Amino acid sequence: MEEVDQIIIHSLNTIGCDIEDDVVSLKQFSTELIVAAAVSCVKSISNENDLPSTLPGGMSARFRMGTTLANAIQELGYRGEIGYQTFLYSNESDIRKVFMFLVDKLPKETVEAMDEPLGASVLLQKAISASVARHLTSPWLPPFLKDHGVAWRGKPPVWQREGACSLHGFYACHLTRPHGSADLTKKISKELKQYYCQCLPFVTNQTAHHHDTLPSVLELNGMEIAKQHEWENEWNQYGLASRLSEEEYKSKKRQRVKKRIIDQLKRDVERADAKTGLGPAENFQQLIDSITSRTSTGVKGKGSRFTHTEKLLFAKDEEKAVSQLVGETATHSEEELQKEREEELNSLREELNNVSSQFSNLDLDVKKFTAGIQELEERLTLQKKENEENEKSYSIKKRTLDLLPDAENNISKLQAVVDASAQRLANLANQWEKHRAPLIQQIQELKELNSKRESEAQVKLGEIKTFREKMKSVADEARNKEEIQKQLLAEYERMAKDVNRSAYTKKIMEIVANIKKQKNDIDKVLVDTRTIQKEINLLSGKLDRTFTVTDELIFKDAKKDESVKKAYRFLAALHENCELLIRTVEDTGIILREIRELEDQIENESNKKVLSNLEKITADYREMRKENAALIAKLKQKS
Amino acid sequence: MDLSSPTLEDLALAGDSVHVPDDVFSVLVKKLFDGINDGNERNISFLSENDRYKNVDKAAVKQAYGGLVTMVTEAAKNDMEIESLSSLLEDCKFSGDRIAALSKAFLQHKPQIQILLNSIGNPPPHIVDIDWRLDYYIKNNHMDKVNEPVYLVSLKTEEAGKPGLQEVQLSCSLEQLQDLVGKLKDATKCLEKDGTVIIYTFQLFNTIFDEYEVPRIAVSLHGQNGAYIDIKTHIFNT
Amino acid sequence: MLLMLEEQHKKHLSFLTSVEIDVVREFCRISIEFIRKGANPKVYQGASQKLGVSVETVQNGVEGLMYLLTESSKLMVNEIDFQDSIMTLGFSEGLRQELLELYVQSRHEVRCILSEMAMDLPHYHNLEWRFDVEVASRSLRHQTTPKILLKLHTEDSGKKEVKVLQTDPVNLVHLTNVLDGALQEMKSAYCRRIVRNIK
Repeated sequence: MEEVDQIIIHSLNTIGCDIEDDVVSLKQFSTELIVAAAVSCVKSISNENDLPSTLPGGMSARFRMGTTLANAIQELGYRGEIGYQTFLYSNESDIRKVFMFLVDKLPKETVEAMDEPLGASVLLQKAISASVARHLTSPWLPPFLKDHGVAWRGKPPVWQREGACSLHGFYACHLTRPHGSADLTKKISKELKQYYCQCLPFVTNQTAHHHDTLPSVLELNGMEIAKQHEWENEWNQYGLASRLSEEEYKSKKRQRVKKRIIDQLKRDVERADAKTGLGPAENFQQLIDSITSRTSTGVKGKGSRFTHTEKLLFAKDEEKAVSQLVGETATHSEEELQKEREEELNSLREELNNVSSQFSNLDLDVKKFTAGIQELEERLTLQKKENEENEKSYSIKKRTLDLLPDAENNISKLQAVVDASAQRLANLANQWEKHRAPLIQQIQELKELNSKRESEAQVKLGEIKTFREKMKSVADEARNKEEIQKQLLAEYERMAKDVNRSAYTKKIMEIVANIKKQKNDIDKVLVDTRTIQKEINLLSGKLDRTFTVTDELIFKDAKKDESVKKAYRFLAALHENCELLIRTVEDTGIILREIRELEDQIENESNKKVLSNLEKITADYREMRKENAALIAKLKQKS
Repeated sequence: MDLSSPTLEDLALAGDSVHVPDDVFSVLVKKLFDGINDGNERNISFLSENDRYKNVDKAAVKQAYGGLVTMVTEAAKNDMEIESLSSLLEDCKFSGDRIAALSKAFLQHKPQIQILLNSIGNPPPHIVDIDWRLDYYIKNNHMDKVNEPVYLVSLKTEEAGKPGLQEVQLSCSLEQLQDLVGKLKDATKCLEKDGTVIIYTFQLFNTIFDEYEVPRIAVSLHGQNGAYIDIKTHIFNT
Repeated sequence: MLLMLEEQHKKHLSFLTSVEIDVVREFCRISIEFIRKGANPKVYQGASQKLGVSVETVQNGVEGLMYLLTESSKLMVNEIDFQDSIMTLGFSEGLRQELLELYVQSRHEVRCILSEMAMDLPHYHNLEWRFDVEVASRSLRHQTTPKILLKLHTEDSGKKEVKVLQTDPVNLVHLTNVLDGALQEMKSAYCRRIVRNIK
């Protein structure tokens, strides 16, 4: 029974009763402990009960509680006999039965937890609850004790953000990386190389602030990937269909884009013109107008400056006086001087204008003359060309005329020359054919070889691709499996505290083996008894038969012989006595068995702690009477 | 993890012992993590300072460095395992020694880089501390015998891009403070119960992660309207 | 505490002794109305014509009553003191009872109106919260950062303001504990003694 007790005690410990270590069997349970354990079992099976977990002090309250507890257990489906006495005046075997029932009914959480699938959502959920739990268990730190709002918590230390002081937005700058140093066949220009080697900083040093480095790096990579995707899409959709090489396709696209931009610009300009409702000529007029108006304002500006100086000159006088003075300038000598000067200036200006117009006229003349010179030169070259042509035609005509007198001869000569060149041409063609045929063959062979190789390469590429994919999938699988393994490991570690599980199974196996052994023993004993019974039967039969035989023999002789008669009588007496003896032996056996049974019963009864329970009951009875008396007294007092 | 083809090229360059000799590589790995993590160490000049590296192609080293920085950053961003990292490096023809050295250094510096990556963002002001003062309001120029307690509460917050602590100040009467504390206790209790209720539909989001580049997803449990899920996405066109 | 009435005030109020009690009642109604909604000079005109006295006298009477009510409400004068204070005005017993009743009835309302005029600080109005878990960001995938978003509504002299704040569980727990402690402080023996002594 010890194993059963241990299992019960362990399960009670897991649901939160603290049972001390030195308690190893149910025999040692006190009444309070029994009640507390039973209550917590009932509570963990169904949450609805609101039983107090400790025994109340008053006797009647104790009885009530015992009864409700018994009822609760009966509601759970317990079939054995149960009442308040089971808990308050416990006996070991009843209590064991009750606890075995309760422990069996306890919810089995661990098994359910094992059955959950380890999907991504579960993993994420676990990660989230772990991080929340870590946050909740970590002590608070004032902000100045954290390194930029980050604190390291837990074991092994994991960082968690508990502030926002070092945060900054995602700001990316352009980064420059040298390229083309891997491919030695492509030369990069000397200047660029020098720039790369001497001046260009490393990528982590290119941003203005250090914290912009990582965003910039991420951004650059993302941009390049996006560009690549875009280009691949376009190439697959339009590029391949156009049957152009990549460079050609790109240049064509560039031209197209350029043209579209130009068209768009033109159209916009036209639209703008249409809006203002002016033709280009009018536009030009407008432009001129605006320029002239600007110059006129410039003149105005000068004028105002002039008046300004004037004002400065006469700033000492009062304003009214000034206006008067302006009216009466003639009377003042200074004013006259001024006027004279102005006139002189005007005349000089006029002269200047004249001279400049003369100059421009002359300029025009010069231009005209130079234009005339050019025209004449052109004419000259034309004439020269004509001259040359004429000379050429003249020489040809002259040669033909020279040849005319000896026409026959010359014609045949010419014919010969023509024939020879024709012959040579044919020869050359033949030779060409000779060279060409093998070359063409070679080309064809090479082409075939090439196509073969290409197809082979394609096949190999396909293979490589499939291998890559396989590799990726295998790697993914491996990663997944590793994750699952990690998860399981973590779970296993968490479970490791539950060492008893294996101990239990071991114990259970042992118990089963023990039971088997005992069963074997019992079987053996049974067989033994059966063989003994058989032997006994056999012997008694033999005895019976020998007795009858001797009985008959002696009985026959007894009639004749007196002494034999005596022997016969003895035999009968012997037989009778032996039978009596056997019966007595059987009776003793029965009695012995009875004695043993009775002893067992006594043992049982003494196990039930009748005496102590009786004492307890009498004590409780007395207590109750006292309580009742007190209550009655109170009642009386009140009434 | 996605790396662009120029980056892969640069990375292959870093694995190539012709362009980046072994001794340069080991220094480069050290400088790499210094340059990413420490703003004071980002000015890297070991090539020009030491005569030993006179014959090294500096352009190639810079290019390889760029590739390594991108790779390390992306790996930290995606929280890559060492195994997949080394298979990537193998594809880029790194030798076993170099893979081991780089993986070890990466593992050592990963949390620090992730802290840096985590510090990118513009969240609302973050409460880090609180001060309070209890006043007993006695009278004002219009009224005598007001006689009620007033709490002056100052929330210390930290804000992205601003140094030091900011303050949010408010006053509360006793009832108002009771209301405030009650609501905060509600929130705390919700955390202690653990957010397990809400995460049922996460499976869906995980597939979204893998299919598209959705950069930011937050799951929310509302205090007042019961539990529902709210997705905030900011999609940047890269 | 007794109200100290100035001579001029007394003179203004003395007009009320010379009229019928119904008229005084009407005056009281008008003065309460004015405290609630502001003065209306037209009413003075009508009353003066009806009573055959100058507008100024009516105005002084009403305003005197208003001042009496606001001043006594401001100081929370108790009933006996109020009665004693107006004893000096020479009012009849009935009139005094009338005024006392008016004072007791309107004291709470007048105090409310006065408290609205008092200086105000930005004070707490409402708090909304929600619990987020950041599971990925543009620059860092695979994270689980718990966050609590708080929306704090404050009010300053009727002007409402909303602030959005955030915090993490560690700080939230700290926040809650500190404020809870502040709340408990009010129940401490020291604070109770102060509250008891300042009455």
